Amino acid sequence: MGNESDVIVETKNLTKTYRDFWGRQKVRALKALDLEIRRGENERIGYLPEESYLYRFLNAEETLDFYGRLFKIPSAIRRQKVAQLIQMVGLDTANKRQLREYSKGMTRRLGLAQALINDPDLIVLDEPTSGLDPIGTRNMKKLILQLKEQGKTIIMSSHLLGDVQDVCDRVGILYQGELKELGRVEDLLKIVEQTEIRVAGLSEEAKRKIEKVIEEDKSRLVFCGNPTTSLEDLFHDIIAESEARPGKRVRGGENGK
Amino acid sequence: MILENPIPPFLEWIGPAVLNWLMAVVALSLLACVISLVILFIYKGVKRGSQGLASGIAEAWKELFHFSWKRCFAMALLAIRESIRKKVVVICVVFLILLMFAGWFLDPGSKDPARLCASFVYQTTTYLVLLLALFLSSLSLPSDFKSKTIYTIVTKPVRSSEIVLGRIIGIGAIGTGVLLLMAICSYFFVSSTLKHTHVLNDKEDLTQIVEEDPSTLPSDTVIAKGYTRLANGHKHMVEKYADGSVRVYEENGHSHAVEESSEGGIVRYKVGSSQGSMQAKVPIYGKIKFRNADGFERERGINVGEEWEYRSYVAGATDEAIIWTFEDITSERFADGLPVEMTISVFRTHMGNIEETIMGALYVRNPVTGLIAETHVFNSEKYTTKALHIPVEFDKSQVKDKPWLVKKMNDKSSFEALSQTELPRKDTYNLFEDFVVDGKVEIWLQCINDQQYFGAAGPDLYLRASDANVFFNFVKGYLGVWQQMLILISFGVLFSTFLSGPVAMVSTFGILIAGFCKDLFLEIAHLQALGGGPIESFNRLVTHENMMVDLPNTFSTHLGQAFDRIASAFLSVIGLALPSFSDFNYYADCVANGYNIPLNSILVHLVTTLSFVIPLFVAAYVILRNREVAK
Repeated sequence: MGNESDVIVETKNLTKTYRDFWGRQKVRALKALDLEIRRGENERIGYLPEESYLYRFLNAEETLDFYGRLFKIPSAIRRQKVAQLIQMVGLDTANKRQLREYSKGMTRRLGLAQALINDPDLIVLDEPTSGLDPIGTRNMKKLILQLKEQGKTIIMSSHLLGDVQDVCDRVGILYQGELKELGRVEDLLKIVEQTEIRVAGLSEEAKRKIEKVIEEDKSRLVFCGNPTTSLEDLFHDIIAESEARPGKRVRGGENGK
Repeated sequence: MILENPIPPFLEWIGPAVLNWLMAVVALSLLACVISLVILFIYKGVKRGSQGLASGIAEAWKELFHFSWKRCFAMALLAIRESIRKKVVVICVVFLILLMFAGWFLDPGSKDPARLCASFVYQTTTYLVLLLALFLSSLSLPSDFKSKTIYTIVTKPVRSSEIVLGRIIGIGAIGTGVLLLMAICSYFFVSSTLKHTHVLNDKEDLTQIVEEDPSTLPSDTVIAKGYTRLANGHKHMVEKYADGSVRVYEENGHSHAVEESSEGGIVRYKVGSSQGSMQAKVPIYGKIKFRNADGFERERGINVGEEWEYRSYVAGATDEAIIWTFEDITSERFADGLPVEMTISVFRTHMGNIEETIMGALYVRNPVTGLIAETHVFNSEKYTTKALHIPVEFDKSQVKDKPWLVKKMNDKSSFEALSQTELPRKDTYNLFEDFVVDGKVEIWLQCINDQQYFGAAGPDLYLRASDANVFFNFVKGYLGVWQQMLILISFGVLFSTFLSGPVAMVSTFGILIAGFCKDLFLEIAHLQALGGGPIESFNRLVTHENMMVDLPNTFSTHLGQAFDRIASAFLSVIGLALPSFSDFNYYADCVANGYNIPLNSILVHLVTTLSFVIPLFVAAYVILRNREVAK
């Protein structure tokens, strides 16, 4: 297993786990990569389904304990692992509440924790950020990046391409069951014939000089102006500002002009 | 206690029973393989179909060896948590409420209050626990499919066998817990309902019948008689003897101890709590046979025209006798003699004086020499259990001069030889030396009154060897409910592997009803029920034809009957595979009638339960394994 986070993107549902007629357990999208998981050989795999299909009558501890038992983890190690995972996904204040009282974000985080209970080498995440609010999405992405740092290989399917771009090293694009593209994100997204220079505090005169240099070089200026941040970054900046200075109304936009 | 279908000894029963079971399992497996093969041939063709079946069987077999008890218990624990979180404890509350109000409807003054109370608690528990098992078992797996939680489960290294068995064990465990709780509550309910005392005052309740000074009379002379005050709808006859002791006669199956105290010349009695209301008698049954008026041995006696052929009769004032042969009778086991208890049916051909009871005689006989002694002459009341004690020593006046013999149809020579034998006379006879041979002894029963009859079945007379612990026997009584519950859970889990929750529940309920009415089901299946098979019965319903009338000789009638014959074959097979839930009522009957539940019957019923649970588990495993979980 490699150190990079692997990513597969598909336009339809990617990782459906199912059993075929003879009971072999398969992950449909993985078949495209010629990987078939047979029954009983999934001890080293963690899987987060598209929706967190967890027992709503259990609490977080009981849920992780149950899945830990299915991997026959000894009870002392299991207890330790459960506490560690609950802390990792930030549910330590709600670990005794039944899942029926959880928000979607909390359920997704617990879903990720159950996928990690067996300390897997390969983690399959199906739409890990779908339906989450921006904070939940950022937390989930943080967790995925943490796992990457721990050396886990993660296969993730998502419709939310921005999230994919944020966390993945390699992507594959599947359309109608066929792999159309596969490669490193920066390689696939790099526009070779264009050059981007980012400078802070550039004067108008300097801009004109640069434009003149481009003209002399017989190149074409595509855009010269102020870049925009992403809405997600703006949202998180506002939240961070709000938390740093509670009570202050942060106003940008029209009023800030 | 009525035992229409006596349970055979376990060791005799187990061999043929297992063989039959194996044959049925093999036949059903072959049938399932043939059906699967036909379906596979249709969908995949002959070659791929047969390969598919072979690899399917091989993989399913292989997978059984990878079964893990740890994962199975994890699934069981999940089922237990699910049940608890779904508030199964409500069923216990319902039960407690029923017990609280049961006192309004149960009459403690009835002739047999112990039977009434025990029957009530066992029936209530049976219905509640079976309903609980029905709901939990048939809705658990379908809810996993509906909420898609099974999708997460199957990504873990868990096998279908563990999912199925985990469910059975988990739901079984929760049912067992509920049942235990109910058993303990029931015991306290029954014992508190039966517990009572009476008031007895020396001057007001007892009447002096002897004028003399008691100290001058023999100690066993009755000096006063009377009745206790009314409590729980009854009162007891009381006798006071010359030595000052007081005897309280049995009423409604129990008696009381009495303590006498004297203060300032005033005698007071303290009547103790009821004794013997609940019993756990350990009976030893003998083999029954009959002697007809000509002295021949018969398997059955006279049929007095009762539709129910359980008991067989002998005529009074004739040589006819009902004979029980007991084995393993030793002086070590019965040092004080033989404690006999019997419940005899009396059939009167004329009422005579209705107040007068019919007289009977009890004998003990040497089964080899025919030496016989009359031990008791008694008054018999219909269906009243009578306790008699056969002593160890007999006076010569009790022993008959000539041997009493039973002729066998094909062994006249030994009979004639024996009938000529003069038996040596003694002053006293000993039960174990003179009447017991190789542990065998016979007890004979005769009716004395002319033109009246005594009737009995095998279990109607027994030796009361000892008594077992009442509390444990009461709890053992719940084993019947427990075993029914396990079978029902297995059916529920099986149906829930391929049916949706409500359909699985209705199917399991159908099994429950058919299992309780198995005899009727088989009667219909074998076309022995009045009104014919299903189609013929429907025809009669629609055309308003009486069940007793032959249907008109038309083509449609014949067609319907032909269909019935085909349906009969199917129904017979289904009927044979159905569990007979009513058989498990034996446990409750034992406790209600005050008998210990023998280990033999527990073993037989336990094996019967397993004979259902194991194939149902395997069937559920195979079905779940072949179900595409995420469609």
